[in-house]
Amino acid sequence: MMRDILGLKKGGKTPVYLRIIDVLSGVYEKFGVDYPQMRNILSMKMTMDGRRESPMQAVSSNSRSGEEKNHFFSSLWVYALISVFLLFLFAYDNWVFQYTTYFSFLFLMTFSTLLANFSTILLDTKDSILIGTKPVTRKTLGAAKATHVGIYLISFTMAIGAPVILFTFYFNGILAGLLVLILSLLASLWCLGLTLIVYATILKQFDGERLKNIIAYSQISLSIFMVIGYYLVGQIFQIIDPETLLVEMNLTLGHSVLFPMWFVAPFGLLQEGWTLTYGIYTGLLIVGSVLLVILYNWSTDKIESNLQKMNASSLKINKRSVLERIAAAGLCKDPLEKAYFHFSWQLTKTEREFKTRLYPSIASALVFPIVFVFTTLTGDQTAGLEQNPVSFLYLPYFTLLLIPVLTVSIQFSTNYKGSWVFNLTPQQSKAPFMRAALKAMLVKILLPLYLIIAAVVLVFSGWGYLLQMINGFLLMSVVFYLEARRSVKSLPFSREYSASEANLGCMGTLIFFVPVFIISLIMILSQLFIPFGEWIILIIMSGLTIWWMTRGFNEKKQA
Amino acid sequence: MEPILEISNLTKSFDGKPVLKGVDFSVHPGEIIGYIGPNGAGKSTTVKIILGVLERDGGDIRLFGQPIDNQTVTYKSRIGYVPENAELYETLTAKEYLLFIGELYGMKEEIILSKSEEMMDALGIKESLNGRLASFSKGMRQKVLIISSLLHNPDILFWDEPLNGLDANSVQIIKELLWQLKKEGKTIFYSSHVMDTVEKLSDRIMILNDGEVVADGPFEELKEEADGTLEQLFNTLTGFDQHAALAEQFLTAMKGDGSNDA
Repeated sequence: MMRDILGLKKGGKTPVYLRIIDVLSGVYEKFGVDYPQMRNILSMKMTMDGRRESPMQAVSSNSRSGEEKNHFFSSLWVYALISVFLLFLFAYDNWVFQYTTYFSFLFLMTFSTLLANFSTILLDTKDSILIGTKPVTRKTLGAAKATHVGIYLISFTMAIGAPVILFTFYFNGILAGLLVLILSLLASLWCLGLTLIVYATILKQFDGERLKNIIAYSQISLSIFMVIGYYLVGQIFQIIDPETLLVEMNLTLGHSVLFPMWFVAPFGLLQEGWTLTYGIYTGLLIVGSVLLVILYNWSTDKIESNLQKMNASSLKINKRSVLERIAAAGLCKDPLEKAYFHFSWQLTKTEREFKTRLYPSIASALVFPIVFVFTTLTGDQTAGLEQNPVSFLYLPYFTLLLIPVLTVSIQFSTNYKGSWVFNLTPQQSKAPFMRAALKAMLVKILLPLYLIIAAVVLVFSGWGYLLQMINGFLLMSVVFYLEARRSVKSLPFSREYSASEANLGCMGTLIFFVPVFIISLIMILSQLFIPFGEWIILIIMSGLTIWWMTRGFNEKKQA
Repeated sequence: MEPILEISNLTKSFDGKPVLKGVDFSVHPGEIIGYIGPNGAGKSTTVKIILGVLERDGGDIRLFGQPIDNQTVTYKSRIGYVPENAELYETLTAKEYLLFIGELYGMKEEIILSKSEEMMDALGIKESLNGRLASFSKGMRQKVLIISSLLHNPDILFWDEPLNGLDANSVQIIKELLWQLKKEGKTIFYSSHVMDTVEKLSDRIMILNDGEVVADGPFEELKEEADGTLEQLFNTLTGFDQHAALAEQFLTAMKGDGSNDA
C-alpha cells in the first residue's frame, strides 16, 4: 500500500511523485525555478536511483536488465511498524503532551536520517559539471536536488508518522488529523530547509581542507543538538499521577527555542482554546516557516556555486599513523592482508563521502539508546536506575549498534570503479581483504569509541569490571564479523552509493536493537552470576576473535 | 571581426595556491583553437570558469560580446561542452542520457531522438542506443559526450580532450567533423595532449604553463620561435628538456636493487 501512495508502481505513465510536483509547478516558478528543467532533472535522478548494479555486472549486460525498483520505498513499512509504539500516547488525554512526544520523535528521526544518509547527495559535486554547464540556473539545480532529497525525506517522515496520523483522525477528530498531517509535512520540510541553510552557510564561509572538516563537525554537532533538544523537550512534562496518566507541563521562556514545541502549540489551541503561550508559539511557527523560506531562497544557489570547493585537493602529507602501524603489525600476519589493511585505513581516512555518511550515523546510533534509556518522558523515573553501578555495565554494548552502519559503509566508495585492481592481484583476495577491512574499522573506529565508554564505566563502577569490558570488546569483534559475513556480498569499497540505498545502515541499526539487547543481557548476567563466567567468556570470545582474524571469510573448499 | 570570447587577467587559486595567474586571450568566430599545457597547468580550470562551474577570483570574461555573470545562464545554450574524464550518469542508457541533456536545452523529444539516432549511427554506435552507459567503453562514452555537446547546434565548443579513448577511425571522423564545423562558422576551443593532432588541426595554438599563457598564435608563427615541431616548442616553453634522463631514472627505480621480487 505504501508503495502505491509513493508512486513507485510504474503502471501509470507518470509516477505519482511527479504528478504531485506538477501541481506545485506554480510555486517553483514563483521562486524563479525553471520548472520543466527541474522536473527533467528530478525524473532522471529518480530513474537512476531505481537502478543499481555492480560495475562488474554492467560490463556484461548491454541491455536494461532486471526489474527497476527502489529499495528505499519498499523498506518504509518497517519504520511505520517501529513507530507503532507511539500509539501509547493516545492513552494520555493531553493533546499537547501527545504531540510533543510525537514531534520530537519525528524531528529526531528525520533529522538524523537526513544528515547521515542524504548529505552525500546534497553535497554531490558531479551535477555541477554535467548539468551546471548547460543553461540551467543554480537555483533550478538546487531546487531539483532539494526536491530529490525531499521526496525521500517526506516519504520517510510520513512512514514514521503514519501510525500517529491515522489514529489521530480516529481519536482526536478530523481537524486534529488534518493538522497533524500538515504539520508533519512541514516538519519534514523544516529539517531539509535547516540543513540546506547550514550547508550553504558553511560552504560559503570556508575553503579547502577546513571546509571538509567543518562539514563533518557540523553534521555531528547537529545530531547532538537534536538529541539534547529531544532530552529537553522531555523535561517539560511531569507525570503527576501515574494512575490517571495526568501530566503537567512546565513551559518556561527558555523552552521557546525548542522549535518542535512550536509545532505542538496549534494542538493546544485546538483542544484548550486560546492562551497566550500557545498563541505565541503558533506565531513563532508561522514566522519561523516564513523566515525559513526566505533564508532558503537566499541560500539555494550558494550551495551549488560553492560546492566545487569540496573537490579542491590539498597536498597534505599523509603518513601512516603509529596506531595504524602497530595494529597492522599486530593483527595482520599475511603481507597481502597487511596491504589491504593499510588500504582500508587510508581510504576511509581520506574519502570525504565515507565520513559524511558514517560520522552522523555514529553520533545518532550512539545517542539513540542513551536517549531512550535516560529520557523516559517523566525525566525522573530513571533516577533510581542510575544509582546502581552495575546498571552501567550495559552501556558499552550500545556500541554494538554501530556495527550495521559500519558494515554498510565499508561496502561503498566514491571510487568504486577502482576495485578492478583487486581482481588483478595474483592471489585469491576476498577473504584477506574482508579480514583486513574489518580489522582496520575495528581498530580505527570501534576501538576508540569503546575505550571512551569503557573508561567511563570503569570510573563509575570500579576496576573489577575490567575483564567484562575486554569481553565486551571481543564480543563486538565477533558480532562485527558475523554481520559482515551476513551482509557484505561484494568486495569492500566496490559499490556506488545511491539515494535508494540511503537507509540501509539505519534499518540495520533498528533491527539490531533486539539481538543486541538479548546478547548484552546474557553477557551481563552470565558474568555476574556464573562462577568464573568472565574467564569462560574471555576464552570463548578470544578464541572466536582469533579464529576470524586468521581464517574468517575463507571460502569452503568445494569437493 | 568582434572576438567571440575575450578573457583578460583571469585569476583563480585553490586553497591559497594560485592556479591561474592572469590569463589573457581572445578567440574569434570560426577559429579552431588548441589549448595545450602540462597536467595541472589550469586548462580545465579555465574552461570551467568560462562555463560558470567555478567562480573566478578576478579578471573579466566576455562571451558573445557580453560579460559573464552568475545570474544569467542563457549564454550556455550556445555552448557545447565535453568534460574531461568522460564523466556522465552511468546508470542511464545512451538514449536516456541524450534525451535528458537535450531537454535541458529545451529541445523537443522527437527532435532529440531523431538527431541522436542519426548522430550515433554516423559514429557507429547506433546499436548501443538502449545500452547502459556503464557498459560503454571509454571511446563510446566519449562519442556520447560529443553527441550531447552538439545536439543543440551550439556556436562555440569547449571540448576537454575530445579525442581521449577514441580509436583511429573515430579520431579521423572527429577531425573531419571539426573542419566542417569550422566551415559552418562554429568556434572550437579544445584541449589535447596529442601534439600531432593539435599541430595539424588548430588555426591557433595556445600553450598554458603554470597558470599563464606562454605562447599564442598559429603554428606557422610559433614554429619560427622554436624551429621544429610543436612538441619541441612545448618542451622549451614548459621548461622540460630532460625526458631522456627522467626515463632513465624511472627504469632504474623499476629494476630496484635487483633484490625485490616481481
